[in-house]
Amino acid sequence: MDTNVGPDEMLIHLGPQHVAQPGPFRLNVKVKGETVQDSEVEIGFIHKGIEKILENKTYLQGIPVVDRACYLAALTNEEAFVGCVEKLAGVEPTERSQYIRVIVEELSRIQSHLLGYAEYASFLGFVSMFMYPIAVREKVLELLEMTTGARITHSYLRFGGVRDDLPEGFEAKCKETFDYVRKGVEEWGELMKTDMIYRERAVGVGVLTPDIASDLGVSGPPLRATGVAFDIRKDDPYLVYDDLDFKVCTETAGDIDARIWVRIAEIYESMYIVEQALDQMPSGPLFPENLPYDRRSPVMRVPKGEVFYRVEDPRGEMGFYMISDGSDKPYRVKIRGPVYPTMQALPPLIKGTQLADVVAIAGSMDACTSEADR
Amino acid sequence: MDAEKIIDSLSSKFPEAISDTTTESERRISAYADADSIVEVCQYLKEELEFGHLCSETAVDLIQKNEIDVVYHIGSYDHPVVLTLKARLPRDNPQIESVVPVYWNANWYERETYELFGVQYKNHPDLRNLVLPDELLGDWPLRKDYEGFPQNTAKNLV
Repeated sequence: MDTNVGPDEMLIHLGPQHVAQPGPFRLNVKVKGETVQDSEVEIGFIHKGIEKILENKTYLQGIPVVDRACYLAALTNEEAFVGCVEKLAGVEPTERSQYIRVIVEELSRIQSHLLGYAEYASFLGFVSMFMYPIAVREKVLELLEMTTGARITHSYLRFGGVRDDLPEGFEAKCKETFDYVRKGVEEWGELMKTDMIYRERAVGVGVLTPDIASDLGVSGPPLRATGVAFDIRKDDPYLVYDDLDFKVCTETAGDIDARIWVRIAEIYESMYIVEQALDQMPSGPLFPENLPYDRRSPVMRVPKGEVFYRVEDPRGEMGFYMISDGSDKPYRVKIRGPVYPTMQALPPLIKGTQLADVVAIAGSMDACTSEADR
Repeated sequence: MDAEKIIDSLSSKFPEAISDTTTESERRISAYADADSIVEVCQYLKEELEFGHLCSETAVDLIQKNEIDVVYHIGSYDHPVVLTLKARLPRDNPQIESVVPVYWNANWYERETYELFGVQYKNHPDLRNLVLPDELLGDWPLRKDYEGFPQNTAKNLV
């Protein structure tokens, strides 16, 4: 962006704190009157060096580290990392543990979408609408906590399986929680259909077209809100998603409203997936019998090779590229997160819009700076 | 689109530039491309083979071979095949043409690879550091011989 401003222009720095997304980043916006002329995103405030850290940790030690790339999607980050190592080591997780993974990852998607929705509402000034989904999200976090022992950074997946089986009473508690989630989501949905302020701020604002979204490399709900039915769970399936019946949720308008509705539809779809998985789950061991290494071995050696493995994160396509040189640590790990392209897409998306809409548009993308700044 | 057909099409279109092609599975293929023809290869992939989605772009420091591999993961919104395309560069002067004219979102990936590995992207629209502070530029932290950040604060305390 050209930072020279004309006599009737102004340069406004939004951030680095609280610019409609969790985590610090700065959005420099050039405005003429109320209209955005140009903008630039600055990141790098919390660079954690996760890729370098992973190259210096053993494979097992890497699991808690990838959790922290984005704690809202800790379980899908783990899936991408653990899946890479399994592919390199030639290990196939048992069917039961694959079902359990699907269940916890879908629960993780529900809690992430609930938080995304809550935060978006708070950016518009609906403070109560922040509180209600957060209360419901707590219930989902309780389910995850009783399974994994932690609320957000779980370290639950293991190479070839999962750390523990589902706890006693999980299914009943799950049913109770889903009733609560459905009731809440239905109520807010009604509000979104009728509230004039919400409609004015969201409908027809921040429109992404399918061509531009694909060009920008966007994935996840912002892409599906433009009508492109791209979902890694269907297009490049992993775990037992092939055996489960679910649909890819899409909208066609590509605006803020469409992005929010895609997330809401995905909450319903995720609950449906969890219910099916609980019904279909076979009994059996959590780990394969011929596991080539000890389950808790910090020094497992993985054969030479390289893998690119991707999963559907709550925010889109999360992929890990891993190279093994045969030692007990990965030689190179590259994390392809979904938020990077989403944040990169902000300047073209807000160009020409009103300054007041910038926060609403940025919030509706549900990006997690921490994940981009890994 | 079928993985084998993609490899065949790519190899026959660029017989000089494409080498070491492998089919790891029906959804994962890889190939090496000549660094000088990377833009034409990407153009062909995008326009003819439906590879419209650049998943990521990064580099790998192969210190023992004295090489840096630039790695592109190119996928599609239309088919499940992901191509791992690589280009070998000399470690002491890694230079390659930018693919931003083909894949718009390569912009940040190339800026990041530049500041972390020192890969110079020719004709990149805005090649400057993205996540690191200015004083770290030139350290190339993700190279294998990087010894660590000069801890200015800690030094002051000593």
